[in-house]
Amino acid sequence: MAGVLADSEARDSDAPDAGLSPAALERALAEEIRRSDTLARVTEAVASSTNIDTCVQVVIDGAREISGAAFGAFFYNQLEPDGESYALYRLSGAAPEAFADFPRVRKTALFAPTFENTGVVRSDDITQDPRYGLNAPRQGMPEGHLPVRSYLALPVATRRGEVLGGLFFGHPLPGRFTARDETLLVGLGGQVAATIESIRLTAGAMAELTERRRAEERLKFALDAGGMGSWDLDVATHAYEASDLCKRNYGRAPEEPFTFADLIATLHPDDRPRVLAAIDSAIRDGADYDVEYRVVLPSGELRWLHARGRAAQTADDGGARRLAGVSLDITDRKRADERQKLLVNELNHRVKNSLATVQSIAAQTLRSSASPEFFREAFETRLIALSQTHDLLTRESWAGASLREVFDVELRAMAGEDRVTFAYEADVRLNPKAAVALGMGIHELATNAVKYGALSVPGGGVDVTWMVEEDILRMVWAERGGPPVTPPARRGFGARLLERGLAAELSGGVELNYDAEGLVCQMALPLRALEP
Amino acid sequence: MKTLSSLKVLVVEDEALVSMLVEDMLTDLGCAIVGPAAEIEEALRLAGSADIDAALLDVNLGGRPIFPVADALKARGVPFAFASGYGEAGLSDDHRGAAVLQKPFREADLRRVLEGLVGETA
Repeated sequence: MAGVLADSEARDSDAPDAGLSPAALERALAEEIRRSDTLARVTEAVASSTNIDTCVQVVIDGAREISGAAFGAFFYNQLEPDGESYALYRLSGAAPEAFADFPRVRKTALFAPTFENTGVVRSDDITQDPRYGLNAPRQGMPEGHLPVRSYLALPVATRRGEVLGGLFFGHPLPGRFTARDETLLVGLGGQVAATIESIRLTAGAMAELTERRRAEERLKFALDAGGMGSWDLDVATHAYEASDLCKRNYGRAPEEPFTFADLIATLHPDDRPRVLAAIDSAIRDGADYDVEYRVVLPSGELRWLHARGRAAQTADDGGARRLAGVSLDITDRKRADERQKLLVNELNHRVKNSLATVQSIAAQTLRSSASPEFFREAFETRLIALSQTHDLLTRESWAGASLREVFDVELRAMAGEDRVTFAYEADVRLNPKAAVALGMGIHELATNAVKYGALSVPGGGVDVTWMVEEDILRMVWAERGGPPVTPPARRGFGARLLERGLAAELSGGVELNYDAEGLVCQMALPLRALEP
Repeated sequence: MKTLSSLKVLVVEDEALVSMLVEDMLTDLGCAIVGPAAEIEEALRLAGSADIDAALLDVNLGGRPIFPVADALKARGVPFAFASGYGEAGLSDDHRGAAVLQKPFREADLRRVLEGLVGETA
């Protein structure tokens, strides 16, 4: 071997040989048997170690026993952060503290053959080695170093030549290690390398397995948390695998069988051709499978699912072998979408109706307006009256409003709102349509009172009373203390709205009496047309 | 051009202001107004027995769909048009394709639709 140095001839002569006394031969044989047993035991222990610590410790302990070394150490072929020294891994025959205070082993001329795997270094007296003491600053072993004269160092390398580390043995006396020791220890070194490599491979495989298991658990957790079922279709055989959640999306319990045929049967008949076409296209053209469809569960319940997937693993003939992906129950979203659509439709309907209402107000205000100024004033106050009732209804999410609230918002803007008195036993809930209609009617009454009626002069007032009798709301608006009343020559917008429009819309009767002491408006409206 | 003069038109509309507008338009066009009806029951009664040449139907009467009234008119062979804020989207499948006035509409739109209705049966 390239690195072998001076042999220890003195100790080699201890080996069984001719010319020795039978007693010496017997001792030598016993010694050889002991070493052989030790080697077998150590080899066995090394081979069966499952972690590197144990393996290395067993080897350096065993090697000391076999070779009679005072100290043994294993250094990893792994540079410390300083970039040039090696990491001490295990020690035998000395406490770890023995090394703690010393500079680390460096790749000096002496150590290089070991870490470069160029050969074994065996020396009867290392201090006499030509490579010894060449390096600054200490030119040899530092003071207090374990006393080493006999020296044996061997690389621990895999069969591919990767150097895992080095085994180092020492003895304070010269000439202690024989060629026989070297042979045995080199064999042991090979064992160590194989075992370390095997442990590393196993650990690597275990780590990978653990990582994969973790990844799978993460994936499963995420899928579960997201409500996603996962599925996998074998394109050739149509074998179908579905996760528990995927089965649940189709109304199946985890233990129930669920085949591809079952899946197709569960699809809503109207959506089936679309889904099958999407599957075909994903398999044939590699298109993304992304489809929303309805399923009819065995219970008869209709659900919406969203499935996404992709063809994977190209077969030998260039086609897809698997189609795999996830499915998600999107029934709630679909229902919300439908509600949203309905709401938007309803909003559009209301807006269009409001526009028609405004159109009507404009047209009729124009008919009864003598001048553009009059039109503008009357049109604007009517628009605002309409808007105020809308505001009131919006505050209650268009669920309805009370009769008194409608009076209050319509009178608030009017001068003399404090001159309107109310008498009633109970307020009346109005549906939005009735609230808008009555709001407009009350606005017309109040505007008329402020312009021409009781509220146009100081001291005048209005008494509003209502009661519910046999499901009919009977309401009276009675003006008092105003100027003398004469019936108008022509019915204006307000009168028409009240007597004809409101009466028809609310399926009741509205009557205007131009009594001399004040205008009286009487309404008889069925509750069924008013209540929400 | 067909004349709408003295055409008897049933008006079904549950909003007072809109109803008044339609009545004014019909009066301007020379039509005679039957109704207006604001409730399904009244509308059904008029649709089944009143002397009418055509009808204008609000699609939604206080939350109740107008279609039974439309069916009654169809059975009698009275032409009708829907007036709706929903446009054609608010129609039931049975009545898809029927004449629709999208609210708000102009008097000229109403005239055109009525002429179409009367032309159909002339």
